[in-house]
Amino acid sequence: MPGIDQVLSQAMGIPGVLGAALIDWTSGLTLGTAGRAPHGDHDAAAADTADVVQAVARNATFDTSGGTDGPALEDLIITAAGSYHLIRFVHTAFDSQTYLYLWLDRAQANLAVARLRLRDLAAELVPS
Amino acid sequence: MGLPISPHPPAPAGLLDRFAAERVTGALRGPHGCFYLLDGAVTCVEDAAAPGIDVRLSAAGKVPPQGWRYAAERAGPQRRGGQFLVSEGWLTQGELEVCHLAALLDAAFFALPLPPDATSFTPGTAHWLGVVRPVSAAALQQATARRRALLDRLRRWAAADTSPVVAVPTDDRAPAPTSRQRRLLAHADGRRTPYELARTLGQSAFVTLLDVRRLAAAGLVRMPPAPGGLPRRRPGASLDGSAPPAAAGPRPPTWQLPVPDVLHTADPDIALLVRLRTALEENL
Repeated sequence: MPGIDQVLSQAMGIPGVLGAALIDWTSGLTLGTAGRAPHGDHDAAAADTADVVQAVARNATFDTSGGTDGPALEDLIITAAGSYHLIRFVHTAFDSQTYLYLWLDRAQANLAVARLRLRDLAAELVPS
Repeated sequence: MGLPISPHPPAPAGLLDRFAAERVTGALRGPHGCFYLLDGAVTCVEDAAAPGIDVRLSAAGKVPPQGWRYAAERAGPQRRGGQFLVSEGWLTQGELEVCHLAALLDAAFFALPLPPDATSFTPGTAHWLGVVRPVSAAALQQATARRRALLDRLRRWAAADTSPVVAVPTDDRAPAPTSRQRRLLAHADGRRTPYELARTLGQSAFVTLLDVRRLAAAGLVRMPPAPGGLPRRRPGASLDGSAPPAAAGPRPPTWQLPVPDVLHTADPDIALLVRLRTALEENL
């Protein structure tokens, strides 16, 4: 079974991908990276995306699973000029607060394909 | 033209920075936590306040409780306990890495900063879990500082950190909690502190403190009433002449959290009642 580095290197095979990372959203700590990051700064990308994820995760508005134990949040998509930023929550049986982050070239990427591939990679990293 | 202002004033280098620069290997033990270093990088952190990888994985039913002793024994001099957990089929490599890093980060939050005069260093020592995924000391300290900033925004409710909190019955006007907070509320029985709740649930102590402070700010948890209750009126006691009853021992601490904003009401009757309640609680 793959570890963090193997999953990130597989993520680099997704069409249109520029960079990938695994990040802890309570601290912005980078747990692993592959490829490039916006402005060449993986740590800044981790801190900035962690801010976005915190804003979503702390509000019950986006937590509409109806009280079941199932995972509430799946992914976040930020569409920008020239790129997509795709964030996928990694669900674990044990407690953790991590997400996979994908930076995609908008001209090359297919958002639907990238979303499904990233979902599968998250499940490969931590099988549920 | 003025002098250029450095965007990052140099922070006083801590012990961890010094050990990282010197690329040391060994165990750096603080008052309640321990950092395991390999060539200056942090491979493992333990702290009494944060549930470790064993508590987290046992709570999730991933590793049987007796499995930990077995794994520690089988780790051997090469310290390959983590790999043993994977080879037994209890965990995948991805689960080991993610859970290990989550536990490491949580422990570092409580173990930092290391007081230079209360630490000891044992060169060469390694954790039985082995080297799973080292983190640089600089990145770890930066992550811990970001976590501290999050918690500091809710400093007014810091008293809830160490109190056995209890869920407050709410009506429809109360803000809805997240599913993680609902789980905490279900376990907030007025007997366990947030630290104990984190251990019971096998979850991050930092995230538990953050959630409990948020719940306190929203008025969804409160502290249990101070032991002893209100002073009783004694027959014959009067304001003129008779001495006030002697206080039995030191005053109990005030178990009061700031009144949440939902109680800032325009209704003068309710505002009076809230002020009265606050004044009574201050005299407990």
